[in-house]
Order: sequence, then C-alpha cells, then structure tokens
Amino acid sequence: MASSTKKVFEVFVAKIPWTVAAKEMREYFGQFGQVKRCLIPFDKDTGFHKGYCWVGFSTEDGLNNALQKDPHILEGTKLQVQMNRRAFTDMKANKESELD
Amino acid sequence: MPFHSATVNMAALLRSARLLKFSPSGLLHITGLKRTGPSVGRLYSGVVGGNKSGVCSRQISRASENASSRQWPYTVGFVRNYATAEEQKNDVGLVIRTKQMQKFDWALTKLDSSVRRTGRITKTLLNRIFHDICRTGYPSGNHALLLLRSCGSLLPEIPLQERNDFAHRIWEKLQEMGAQYDVSHYNALLKVYLQNDFKFSPTDFLAKMEEAHIQPNRVTYQRLIAAYCQDGNIEGASTILGFMKSKDLPITDAVFNSLVTGHARAGDIESAKNILPVMKGAGIEPGPDTYIALMNAYAEKGDMESLKLTMKEAETAECSLMDRDIMQVIFTLAKAGQEQHIQEMTEHLRHERGYVPDAMNLCLSLITQGLEDTAFQMLKTFPSLQSESANMGNFFLRHCVSMDTSLEKLSQFCKELQELQLHSSPLSFTLSCALEANKPEMSFELMKEMKEQDFPIRPHYFWPLLTWHLKNNDQDGVIEVLKNMQKLGVPPDVESLTTYILPVFPDMEAAEQALKESGVSTDSAGYLSSQVRFMTGNLEELYTKLSDPSFPPLDLNNFRSKLSVSFRKFDDFETMMKITKLLYTDKRFSLGNPPAENVGYFLYNLIDSMSEKEVQAQEGNLRMFFNELRAQNMLIPSRICRGIKNLLDPNDSPQLIKEVVYACSSLCFTPRCFHQGKLQILEKKIAELQAENKPLGSVFKQVIQALCVTENLQRALELKQQYESEMTVPMYVNLINMCCRLGNLEEAVNLRTELYRMDSSVVMDVPKYISLVKILSEHGRVEEAIGILKEMKEKDVAIGDTYSNMFFHVLNSLAVKGDVSTLHQLTGAVFTLGLAKPSNNLCSPLVSTHLERDDLTKALEAAIDCGKTYKVVPRIHEIIVGLVQRGDTEQLQKAMDFLSEERGEMTMLYNLCFAFLESGRYREARKIIETPGMRSRPGRLYWFAKRCVQLNQMETLEQMVDITAKLFECDRDEMYSHALLLCKERNDWKRAEAFWTKMQEESFIPRERTLLLLAEILRNNGKEVPFEVPEIWYQQDEITQADTTEQVEEQATETETETETKPPKPPKPTLHESQLIGQCKRGRAKEAFQKLKDAEDKSPAGPVFYDQLIRALLSEGSLEEAMEAKDIAQTHLPNFYLGDMANTLLIVTLSKKGRLEEALKQLRTMLQFDQVPRQLAITRLVQAMGDEGDVAGIQEVESLMQKLGTSLNMSKMVFTNNKALAYIRNGDVDLALEELEGVLTNPEFKNTRISFVYKKVMEENNDKAMDKLAAMAERLANHFALYQPATDLFLQLVDFGKIEDAKFMLARCNAIAEQKDAFFGYLIRTTEVPGQLEKLKNLLSLVPDCLEKERVNTFLMKCHSMDKDFPAAKALYEQMLEEGVTVNELSLKRLAMLYRSAGEPVPFTEPPESFRFYANKLKEEGTKGQETPEE
Repeated sequence: MASSTKKVFEVFVAKIPWTVAAKEMREYFGQFGQVKRCLIPFDKDTGFHKGYCWVGFSTEDGLNNALQKDPHILEGTKLQVQMNRRAFTDMKANKESELD
Repeated sequence: MPFHSATVNMAALLRSARLLKFSPSGLLHITGLKRTGPSVGRLYSGVVGGNKSGVCSRQISRASENASSRQWPYTVGFVRNYATAEEQKNDVGLVIRTKQMQKFDWALTKLDSSVRRTGRITKTLLNRIFHDICRTGYPSGNHALLLLRSCGSLLPEIPLQERNDFAHRIWEKLQEMGAQYDVSHYNALLKVYLQNDFKFSPTDFLAKMEEAHIQPNRVTYQRLIAAYCQDGNIEGASTILGFMKSKDLPITDAVFNSLVTGHARAGDIESAKNILPVMKGAGIEPGPDTYIALMNAYAEKGDMESLKLTMKEAETAECSLMDRDIMQVIFTLAKAGQEQHIQEMTEHLRHERGYVPDAMNLCLSLITQGLEDTAFQMLKTFPSLQSESANMGNFFLRHCVSMDTSLEKLSQFCKELQELQLHSSPLSFTLSCALEANKPEMSFELMKEMKEQDFPIRPHYFWPLLTWHLKNNDQDGVIEVLKNMQKLGVPPDVESLTTYILPVFPDMEAAEQALKESGVSTDSAGYLSSQVRFMTGNLEELYTKLSDPSFPPLDLNNFRSKLSVSFRKFDDFETMMKITKLLYTDKRFSLGNPPAENVGYFLYNLIDSMSEKEVQAQEGNLRMFFNELRAQNMLIPSRICRGIKNLLDPNDSPQLIKEVVYACSSLCFTPRCFHQGKLQILEKKIAELQAENKPLGSVFKQVIQALCVTENLQRALELKQQYESEMTVPMYVNLINMCCRLGNLEEAVNLRTELYRMDSSVVMDVPKYISLVKILSEHGRVEEAIGILKEMKEKDVAIGDTYSNMFFHVLNSLAVKGDVSTLHQLTGAVFTLGLAKPSNNLCSPLVSTHLERDDLTKALEAAIDCGKTYKVVPRIHEIIVGLVQRGDTEQLQKAMDFLSEERGEMTMLYNLCFAFLESGRYREARKIIETPGMRSRPGRLYWFAKRCVQLNQMETLEQMVDITAKLFECDRDEMYSHALLLCKERNDWKRAEAFWTKMQEESFIPRERTLLLLAEILRNNGKEVPFEVPEIWYQQDEITQADTTEQVEEQATETETETETKPPKPPKPTLHESQLIGQCKRGRAKEAFQKLKDAEDKSPAGPVFYDQLIRALLSEGSLEEAMEAKDIAQTHLPNFYLGDMANTLLIVTLSKKGRLEEALKQLRTMLQFDQVPRQLAITRLVQAMGDEGDVAGIQEVESLMQKLGTSLNMSKMVFTNNKALAYIRNGDVDLALEELEGVLTNPEFKNTRISFVYKKVMEENNDKAMDKLAAMAERLANHFALYQPATDLFLQLVDFGKIEDAKFMLARCNAIAEQKDAFFGYLIRTTEVPGQLEKLKNLLSLVPDCLEKERVNTFLMKCHSMDKDFPAAKALYEQMLEEGVTVNELSLKRLAMLYRSAGEPVPFTEPPESFRFYANKLKEEGTKGQETPEE
C-alpha cells in the first residue's frame, strides 16, 4: 500500500523471450545497478510468463543506466525497456510470485 | 427498440456495401483482393446460386458482380428475418432473432477478417463461433452456410478427415436446432467434400437431397461431376452430365475443367488434353483453371515437359497464371511424390502481392499432410523480413509441432533456419510450441537437443507441462516431468516446487515420496523452503511443523512472502500470534539477522503486501495484532518500525499509526551474540554433513555469511582453507569485504587474487570495489588502488551519484590523514577514467587536507589548482574566511585575483563580502555591497542566506538583510523570508516582529507566503497577528493557482462566481470563518480542518466554509478528511448538502483513487437530488472505469446520463471509447472492436472519433490490440468507405512520431491522403503549443501534396511564432517572397510580432486588425474555397 511514498526506481520491460525468467532478468539488469526486485508475472493457466516484467533498482542510477542503454538485447531478442508508469499497487495481488 | 436498431444497422451495412462500387479506392481494393485471392469470394463463391457459378470467379470484369455477391447474403438474411419478425412480433424469439442477426454480422466480420488477412481460419475461431451460435439458439440458415463453408480449404491446419467430421457435426447440430437447409447448404457441403478429398457416393447424396425434398441445381450437378472426376470415374460424371443435359442446364467451363481432371485420373491423359479443343468447339475458351487442371494432371505423372508446354500455352492464350495457381501445381507435385520437380516450379513464382499468406497456407497444408520437406522448401522462398529482430518460420515450426513432425526433421529444420539466419532461436521457439501444445515427450527431446547444443535448460521451461498436469490433478504426469528434470540435470527450484509441483499432491508425505522416487533430493534447503511455503496455506499445520524440534533451521526469508499472504487474511489470529512468537524466539528461523529484525521485516512485508483497501478493512485486526505483539514483548527495531510507518499513509489511518509506533522500540542488538549461537548450529551441521560425506551446499554459504557478519575472519579463513572446493564467487566477495572492513589488507589482496584465478570476469558491486580502493590507499598502495579503479572502468562500473559520496569518504579519510600525494593520484584517476564527474564534493578533500592543518596557503593553492583543472573551486568560502580572519592580505589578494580572473569580479566581490559577513566584519561587507555597479546575484545571496539558516547564524543573516537593502534588484521579500525562516526555526517571535517592522520601513509589498510565515511564528507564540489578512490575497492566490494547478482546480475557480451568486445567500462570514476559508484557499485545507475539529464551538462555520473546506480537501486529494468534514457539517447543519462542484470533485477524487463503486454511488445520489454533475466528473469516472476494465460500470453511467438528457453536451464517444478500452484491458480486443465498429458504422452518430483509444493503446504499447485496431480501421476504410478511423490512426501515429508505421498505414489505405479536412483540423489543434514543427514537417513529408501551399505556409509560420524562432520565420518569409507566394495577413501579423519582440523594425506594414480577425477571415475563405468546386 501507499506505494507512492516509497522510492522505487522501476523499469517496465516488455517483449521478454519466454526462455528468460526472473533469475536471468536480475542477472541482465544487474549490470546497470543493484536490482532490488524483479517481478515477472507467470500465467497460472499456461505456465508461461506474460512477456513483461518490472525491474526495480535500488538507486536512481541503476534506473537511468538501464534507460540510457539501447537496444537491450537478451538472448538475441530486443527487449523493450521503459520507465514504469503504472503504480505497483495493481500488482500486489500476485506479489507472492516474486522470487526474492 | 431492438428491432428498429437492427434494421438500421443492416441498412447501414447494405448502404456501405453499395457504396463500395462507387468509391474508387474500394473498387481498387476489391480488384486487388480478387487477384490476390481468397477473401469473401471464397466464402461466398457459391451463394450466387443462379449466377455464373464457377468454383471461384476470377476475371476482373466480374468485380462488380462479386461486390453484389457480398451484398447478397445480407439481403437474404434481411428479407428472411424481416418476414419472420413481422409475423411474430410478440414472440420472445424476436429478441433472440434480432440478436442472432447482429451475431451473424459479428461472426461474419470475424471470419471475414481472418480470411482477408490470412486466407485461413483457425480451428479455435471456428469452434468459438460455432459454440456461440449454438448457445444463442435459433441458428439461421445463413449461420449454417457460413460455418459449413469454413470447413474446407480455409482450414489448412486441420487434417482433411477432421475437417469433414467438423462439417458433419455442424450440419447435424444445426439441423437439430432447427436451421432450415436449402440447396445452397447441400452445395456448400459438396464443395467441402471436394476440398477435403472426401470419398462419398454422389448417388447417395442425391438420394438424400430428394428425401429432404430439395431440388438439386446446376451447381449441385457440377460439383457431383467434379466429385466423380476426382475419383477418375468418367462414367459417373457422364451420367450426371446426362442429367444436366436432360434438364437443359448449360454446361459451363467448370464442368470441362473437372473432366480434364477426370480423364487424367482415369489414366487417359490424351483425352484430358483433348478437352481443350472440345471446349473451344463448344464456344467456351479454356480458362486458367482449365490449364491448371491439365498441369496438375501432368504433375501427378511427373511429366514436366508437358507441364511446361501447357504453361506456355496458357500464356499464349493470355491466361496468366498467378502464384496461387503455381502453388496448386507444387502441392500436386508434392502429394504425388514428385518432389524433385518442385524446385523448378518454385522458380516460376513471381511473388505477387499477397504471396506470403498464400504461401503460408500452402506450407500449412503440406505439413498437415505430412509433406513438411516441401513445406520447408516453400518457406525458404519467402521474402526476407525487413526488421532484423523478427524471426521467420514461427508458423512453420509451430504447425510442425502440432502435427507431431519427427524430432529428427524438426531439429534439421531448426538447424537450417539458424544457419540461413532466418531465425535467431528456432529450437527454443519450437520448444515453446511443444510446451504450449502440451507434448511432454517432444518437449523433453527438444530440451535434450538444446542441452547438447549448450543452451541452458531452466526450471521454468517445465512449468507449462506442470501447469497442465496440475490442472488435471495428474500426479503421475508431475512425477514424469520431475524424472525428466533430473535427467536433464535441472533440479526443481523453490518456485517450481512451491507453485507447480507440491500442490498436486494430497499431502506432504505423498509429495516427499514422489520426489524421492523421481530422484529429487528432499534434503536441500530449497525443498525445505518450498515445503514451508506450500504449507503457509494452513497456518495451524504450519505451526505444528515449524514448532517441531526436529525441524531444521530455515530462515524466515525463505517463506516470508507466502506467509504474509496467509497472514493478511487474519483468519486465525491465535495461530498467527503463535507463529510470530515462534519466529521471534526460535533462532532456527533467523539465520541471517537477529529474530527481532527478521520479524520486523516480515511485518514490513506484510503491510507492504496489503492494499490500501485491505489495510482499512483489517484496521481493527492490525491494531489488535500490534497490541498483542507489544503485550508479549515482541519488539522490533525502530528503523523497521519507521519503514512500516511510512507504508501506512498517516492520512488514512492515524489511529493505527499510533499503535504501531507504540509497538516499536529502539532495541539495539549487538550482532555478535546472535550469530554466535547460530554459528554453532551451522558448524555442527557442517561437521555432520562432512561425516556423512554429503555436499555442504548452502550450509557452508551460511556459515561464511555468519562469520562475515560476526567478523570472525580467522575462522572464516580456516574454513575456506578446509573446504576450498566449496568456495563460490559471492563467498569470496563477502570475505574480501570483511577483510577490507577489518583492515586486513594482505588477506583481502590474497582473496582477490584467488577469486580472479577462479573467474577473472567477476564484477563486484561498487561499494566492494570502493572498500578495496579504500584499504589499499590507506596502506599507501596507490598503484594497486588505481589498478582497481582501472578494473572498474574496464568492467563498466560507474561510481555515479549514489556512490560518489562513498568515494568522497575514501578521499576524505586520506585528506584527514594528510596523505596528499595518494589523494591527488586517486582523485586524478577517478576523473581521468571517467568513473565520476569532477564535482565540488569530490574535489573538496584536495582542499580539506590543508584546511585540516590550518595551512591556508596550501589550501588556496589546491583550490586554485582544482579551479584550473576541474573547473570547480571547492571550499573557497572557508579559505577566504580563514584568510580574512587571519588578516593575510597577501594570500587574500591572490585568491581575489584568481576568482576575478576565473569567475569574474562580481563573484569575487560576493565571496569577499560573505567572508566579511561571516567574520563579523559587517562594515567591510557593507562597503563591498555598496560598490558602484554591484547588483543582485540571487543565486549567491540565497546560498549564503540558506547557509546562515542552516548554521543558525542569526546575526550574520540579519546583517546581510540589512546591508542588501539598497542593493540593485535585490528581492527584498526573498531576503526577509529567509530571515523569518530562521526566526521560525528558533521560534524567535520578537525578532520576527522586528523584521515585520523593518519590512514596513522598507515599504515593499511582501509576498503572501512571507506574511503567512510571520503570522505562523506569532500565532505559535500566542501573539496576535498585527495585520489583517486582506481579501485580495485569496484572489491573487487563486489567479496564480488557476494557471498552474490541475484542471480540477481550474474548474473550481471557474465556478467561483456561480457559487457565490447562488442561493442560499450565506450570512456575512465571521472573522473566524473567513480565516478558515482563507486557509482552505491557500492550500492549507488540512490546517483549517484541524482547527475546525479542535474548536469546541463550531457554530461560526457556515455552509460556505464547509463547502469550501471539502472542496479544498478534495483538491489536494485528502479524501478521508473531506468525508469526515462532510459528516461534521451534516451534524451541525442538518440541511447541509454538497454542492455540484464539491460532488463533482468528490467523484473525480474517488475515480482517481480507483474507488469506482463509491464514485458511482455518489453519482447516483447526485442525480437523485437533481444535481447536475460536471462533464469532468463523468469523464474521469468513465476513464477510470475504462482503466479498470469495468464495462458494466460504464454502461450504467451511460444509461444514467441518457436519463439526464443531453444537457451535459457529452460526446457518446467518451463511453464508447472507454468501453472499448475496458474490453482491451480485459484482454477482449475483439469485443472492443465490436463496440467501436458498432458506433463507427452507425450513420446516426456523427463525429465519431476514436483517437483517444489509439492514444491510450499506443501509450501502453499494446501491440496486439494496436494491430487489431489498425486492421479494423483499414477494413472500415476499404470496406465501408469510412476513412475517419484510419485517418485518425494515421494522425495518431504521426503524433507519436511513428513515421514508418504511418507510412505503412498510408500505403495500405491510400484514401487517407485525401482527408484534407482531418489534417487541417489536426494541424490547427497541434500547433496550439510550441515545439510542434517536427510533427508538422513529418505530416507534410507523408502527404506532401495534400494541403495547399498557402495553408502549409500559414502553419509553418504559426509553428515558428509559437517556438519564437525568429530566424526560421524570417527565412520562411523570404522564401515565400522569392517563390512569389502571397503571404496572408495572419502570417504577416505573426511575423510582425516576432520582429517586434526581437527588437527589429518591421519591414512591412503590419496588418492593423487583431489575430482573431484574420484567423476568422482565413477560415471563411477556406470554406468558400471548398464550396465552389462542388457548386
């Protein structure tokens, strides 16, 4: 709750190849700064992830570094990385899927 | 009136269908379609019944007929349903029928769009439509026809037999449901049989028709002949031919074409060939289909010579063969096993428009029939894709998987695709298809293959399979997957176990048994935590498990999130407390941190995972929980408590906060003692494991971690020595860090060497590097320290802003130590390597080191050096202050010289002045300020003022305010407000009052904020405020606010006058009330609210105040307070109700907070009281509902608004667009399209714009929805001649700068280029703000000839004037003069303004009238100009 008061530096990543999961995302984005959290929702119906995820950095630098890089290529696929515009609150429901 | 609307809808469709013929682009499109293929022609080829028949009408000249054939089924449906509707007006069936009619349109559109885009239909889509039609009931004949027709070659992905079965199923089911069949249905079924190579008896078929009293027609006979011929049964064909002749039916080319095939299949190729001259004899020219039939005949025999000859003949007969025809021949060759000739045929392919969908369908058909090699050969003929990242052949691989193509072939295809660089990751894509299709065997094989090729196999690859088994509760399936995971060397990770594996088993025992059976280790910490995570669903069970003394240590970390999911339900309070107590007291669950901290984090996590709503709902429980925690003395560290406090927004639950605060304590733990106990356990465990010869795994890691925390280096090193092979990179990094912390340089360096021997590419995080640098530099090993910096550079580790402070401390400690040379080297290295940018902060140690030693001379030298090298002059103020105090004029002079040279004389003077001020030498300071030519430098002045406030230097600040009184351009109010700020800090009301007097002396007009500050200081000290708050302030305040704040507040200001004139006339506000109102208006509503709450006597507050207060609270988003204020108001003023504006704001606020139900309720209440909501409220509410995907809500609002009448002047599109967005949000893009199309194609609605939808969807990057929207816009344009949607999309693309997409859109829908008015409107809107030149230019580059030169120039000039780009405007003007174009008055006027603001004389006579005058004039001319050609 009240996530607006918390300082999170998040990017929203789309077009993630299916072969990649939270661990790989963390590893990849770790190069831009310490990754505080990584939420990659999996479809409980199909067992595949939904192709997007949120990566939160501990620092604004991490965020900026990640945003400055273009293109982001992971396993041969171009990721779409942008500043997260939606509040985290919506995602609270499936937060348990977070691998911390 | 559902019936009425249905007819209107139909009429609309009919009209637009007719329009097609007249619209040139529409016609063009039809022609295009006919050439490229399938489209509606395929679906409706036979409906024409008595028309020219043909398997597929192909000549272009028949385009118009085809258009009418599209129209035809509508007409039939219409007439038919109309008749029944008239008869059964009172029947309930009527409603359903009408619905069905709409449904038909919908189903048709769906199938139609699928066929148009891809030339095929997927099984899922067809199934869905079938079920939908069945569910709704009353299927019409048209539905049946539609479905039947779709069961043939439009389903290339489905095996022939299955297609036919599907057709039969539809036939029977719909008949059962009462669909009436006529000859068209039988003909459709025949066609399906032919397309599916279905063997049936034509005589039986005829008998069946007779039984049903259906008269066969020419088409029936033609198709029966075709059926016989497919079988090579000339005799049968002749019998039917006899029938036809006896009935005097014309023999068409279709019959002859069939006969060609018939003879050939009968083995008589000569007769087949002879059909052509026979045809000519009968006056029928052989058409392309005739030649194709013959070519197919040769193809089946593998007679390439004759085949090519026939092809030439066809060419000479001017029957041009299209790609699709060649593909048919290729298909025949493949089926006949003549693969060797295929390459030759592919060379005849011309890659016409629409090649790809056709070739795709061929590929799919080939694969379906087990001819995947040919399919692959075809795939390679595909044109290469434009974008690099896109992969080709996905459809191919996917279909191979669903057809169970052998693994051998699959991997060969993958290999080749990769080698040809057509696909970047074919194997993993194929695997995803196999997983999607739930083919475990194939998936495992593919993974094996991938593993052999060194691709990583990850645990989540197995999740789709596991999900499937989980859904079916299939334990054996799960075990099978587990076994294969083991085989592939991928042990299930925690997430796999928790979410996908354990839940399938009835209890933990069964699970454990199964895991052991599959060879999965159940000893691992991973399994343990999954187990516990899994058990969090049942707290009681969990408690039993955890409290069991045999339960091994497991950090709470491992199941924290899951546990909070169970906890936040607050179902079982008692067990919750028990578990918390256990976690708090039992060290088994706190391996990393002290238990109090761990539990603290858990509580933080718990609150964090709860939504605002949940917190409110559970407020009581939470309070009880915290209270109980406190009662049982479970205290948590204050730091975490603060975190929790921050989470709980104090606005929403102040009471709760107090409880939490109370539950906090500032416990301080020494980490040592906690880890000591844990260490013993861990070390014991290690000894055990070693004794059993088992891998140490994570236990070892935990030991090292614990030793690092307790800083027991000695033991850690011993263990490292002992278990060298168990050491991992993170352990090394941890150890290195500990050595750095303990100052053990040698070990740190050793460990680092070892680490790099293990993996030289290791990248540590910045703090670790910095601590290495620190320890090395402290030991004077500069070279090595710089080496580390270089490594950071190589590994791309930037220090950045966050860590620059850490680095500052490294440098600063060197500075304190006085190691100047190391300091210099390090600082230099950081900057030259580019790890950080030179800043005042980072450079300051260079100076500090001398200041530290009171060596001002050297400090100054260092500062000057910095200034020269890095362009920053750190700590110069301190240096000068020091020099002034010491009276070292020589050095002072040097500093001043340097400053005035580098930074200018003024800066130097300010520096000197501040130094004097700080040294208490005010007279000198004043002299400097009074230097002639001295003027205000706000930045410098505020810096010093702030410094005084920070350092609490009242006297200095007072002096500064004093001496700057006469300073040129000095903002007096700024100066005084700083002074008052310090007064406030010191709570010094006397001095504040003195300042007030001085302010009056200086007689300037203080800003409101300054006065408020003053009033606050006085009031806080119980003093009377010696000035009245004049009314003017509020108004001023509002004017400034209106410009800056949100729309909501703008509205509030607008309605100000209205509310005031409205009855009931309020009593003249008392002083108390007016003050409060003032506060509300100054954005201090909360304060006013607090005062109201505190006041015992609330009578002075009248309805106006309450209304203001609530509005102000709402404007700042304080919803809860507003509601409370409303309650107070209602208690004290029984007749109080919220005004329109307050209600509107309330709805807006609720909508923004996502509390839609309440917002809707509020709206209902408003309407009940005959209040009229502002448009804004409705718009925001509907938008919020759209965002939430709440379709029903939007519908309700819409109907509420309809009842209200149209007084709000709201566009219907607000509802339509948001409904569409809601559907899209719910993932139902098709429903969204339905919604939009319904409105767009309805002629009753004018000005239907869906730009908003485009914009939202683009903003969200929802490509899937965007594609569909684009397809719809295109369809509407090409189909119904509705160009607005396409044009809006095009403009939206331009607006987003997606020029390539816009270009593409334009290419597909040429008519966009003619939508002059739309462009004009867009440009008028867009150019209202600066910075739009780019968009204008982009648009012009896309549609260069669309707008007249004069208009373009006007817009260009407008852009330049908006951007205040005088040179560009001037250049444009000159260019226009050169080209001899008339410059209109509006542009001249704009240009003149630019000239004037640039201070240049206007070189022409400026038009005398106003802007508006010329704009209107231009507008009138524009409309006239448009009308003339039409007259």
